[in-house]
Amino acid sequence: MPETVFEPWNDPAANPLIQFRNVTKRFGDFTAVDNLSIDIFEKEFFALLGPSGCGKTTMMRMLAGFETPTSGTIMLDGQDISPIPPNKRSVNMMFQSYALFPHLTVYDNIAFGLKRDKLPPDQIDARVKEMLRLVQIEKFGQRKPEQISGGQRQRVALARALAKAPKLLLLDEPLSALDKKLRQDTQFELMDIQEKTGTTFVVVTHDQEEAMTVASRVAVMDHGKLKQVDTPDRIYEAPNSTYVADFIGDVNIIEGHGKAQGDTMAISWAEGQPPIIGTPSKPMDDGNVSFAIRPEKVAISAERPADRNNVVQGKVLDIAYLGNLSTYHVQLPSGIVIKAQTANSRRRASRPFTWEDEVWLSWTDTAGIVLER
Amino acid sequence: MNLRRFSLIAVPYFWLLGLFLIPFLIVFKISLSDIALSIPPYTPTLELSEGWAGFRDFLSQLDFENFEFLATDDLYWKSYLSSVQIAFISTFICLLIGFPIAYGMANAPKEWQPTLMLLVILPFWTSFLIRVYSLIGILSQEGMLNQFLMWLGLIGEPLTILNTNVAVYIGIVYTYCPFMILPIYATLIKLDGSLLEAAEDLGCSRTEAFWRITVPLSKAGIIAGCFLVFIPALGEFVIPSLLGGSDTLMIGKTLFEEFYNNRDWPVASAVAVILLLILIIPIVLYQRNEQKMMEAET
Repeated sequence: MPETVFEPWNDPAANPLIQFRNVTKRFGDFTAVDNLSIDIFEKEFFALLGPSGCGKTTMMRMLAGFETPTSGTIMLDGQDISPIPPNKRSVNMMFQSYALFPHLTVYDNIAFGLKRDKLPPDQIDARVKEMLRLVQIEKFGQRKPEQISGGQRQRVALARALAKAPKLLLLDEPLSALDKKLRQDTQFELMDIQEKTGTTFVVVTHDQEEAMTVASRVAVMDHGKLKQVDTPDRIYEAPNSTYVADFIGDVNIIEGHGKAQGDTMAISWAEGQPPIIGTPSKPMDDGNVSFAIRPEKVAISAERPADRNNVVQGKVLDIAYLGNLSTYHVQLPSGIVIKAQTANSRRRASRPFTWEDEVWLSWTDTAGIVLER
Repeated sequence: MNLRRFSLIAVPYFWLLGLFLIPFLIVFKISLSDIALSIPPYTPTLELSEGWAGFRDFLSQLDFENFEFLATDDLYWKSYLSSVQIAFISTFICLLIGFPIAYGMANAPKEWQPTLMLLVILPFWTSFLIRVYSLIGILSQEGMLNQFLMWLGLIGEPLTILNTNVAVYIGIVYTYCPFMILPIYATLIKLDGSLLEAAEDLGCSRTEAFWRITVPLSKAGIIAGCFLVFIPALGEFVIPSLLGGSDTLMIGKTLFEEFYNNRDWPVASAVAVILLLILIIPIVLYQRNEQKMMEAET
């Protein structure tokens, strides 16, 4: 069998596990989710990303069954789940606060759902032990939740939610309570566990780095609407709006008037300056556009580079040294500040530029993307 | 430094010594004395002027006669038993009424909670005695309750409630219910709502989630509430003597009668000592519960 890339969303024959069809949810006057349709496929690691109040948590709570849509339907495995109460759904949730039962041991927390299914005791025992092994907390089975660390609690919460082998696992800000170092390690573990169990994961997060790392696809949400649903690399490299470009990572945005030139577009952005050449995100007409370019795609040099179309001159305003990277804030004569990032690949290299230096910024025709304004 | 620590610890110890241990020792001493027609109405009394010999003479006259007397007359153990029974049943009724009230309060909208809390504490703004007297007005033959029930047509002639054990139960439950409600409310308000959602998510119905999560997690409040009702109810004197009938036996009432009507201070003191011993068991249990709660929180 040839190895295929996991991309069920590009396969018209694939049946989605979850379908949101024109789902709207209102709380009084407030529309949390606004006429939203989306398909999520089996074995996906799907991330709902957005600022707080964008409706991502409401979507998750509708999947879990704690909220019902005001209108529209949600299908799970081809079945409308609106009338099914949370305790009858093959969906489990890992809560942001973990919601571990403080009066039960770690073992009993994990066994809780299995006991509700009235499974035979030896089967429950085997499953709980399997889960404890899966999340590597075998030693802590007999402890109470308050007797273990935050990272271990996070594992217990994950094990408890996975114990019933749900069709769909919901994770509400799963790593937000962990410190940065632990969070990064846990991200990879989470991906491992998702792969091992083959469960479909839907994770809600406001942390774009987390979403980008773990997810097979990311949905960027704002004000109850989906802005873009795509793979992490496409979200980053080919955002479809300035909102998405700005929300994910760092970006320079230059506004101007665009004019199509074959595959590329020439953008007049300042008096007396040559136009910037960029690649449009989709075929678009001449008019007002935004040019978005990531700082790491902007090269910085002392001499004017000869081989590039896009060259601007400016003055170093600020330098942010991040260890692995340095970000230069360069002010152009028009007043715009452009961020340029360079990797500090050599140790102890003297810093090539300093404050107030005149520098040249340049980028290729395909480095930046042209977005509708 | 050490002096500071010592004085900090000393304050509660002196407090206990002065206001609990010494009075108790005085009562215990009286319980070992004999009744006498004098002031005070018991012998022997300690004559410090006679020195060491007087003290030895005093000690030799003390005995456990009164405690033996309590064991022989069945009035006393019946009073104790009846008190325990009334206190126990009252506590249980308080729990049945108090828990739903506390639950309702904890789940009420945030802006309502201070008002509801105030309503629970409000009765304490009126004298306890006046409230018990007004219960007489409500429960008597011509009282409001009977008039209301007759107006509804539920009963043909007035019920005899006043001067029965029923009136005592009503009085105790009415008086002590806030002591049940407040600690339960305090634990329920701290309960994290996501725990119930997690329980539902894992397959519990709402009712099952209540019994498996809410009740175990409010256990500390329930236990505290039960003790706060049971302990004072056991020694209750005002309610049984005002609302109860002649056949209502409660140890507080017996003690009062022994003390004032019979002027038998030694026997009354013996009754009090035994009552304290009975109370010590639940108090120790309560302390242990509190300690467990403290440990659980740290």
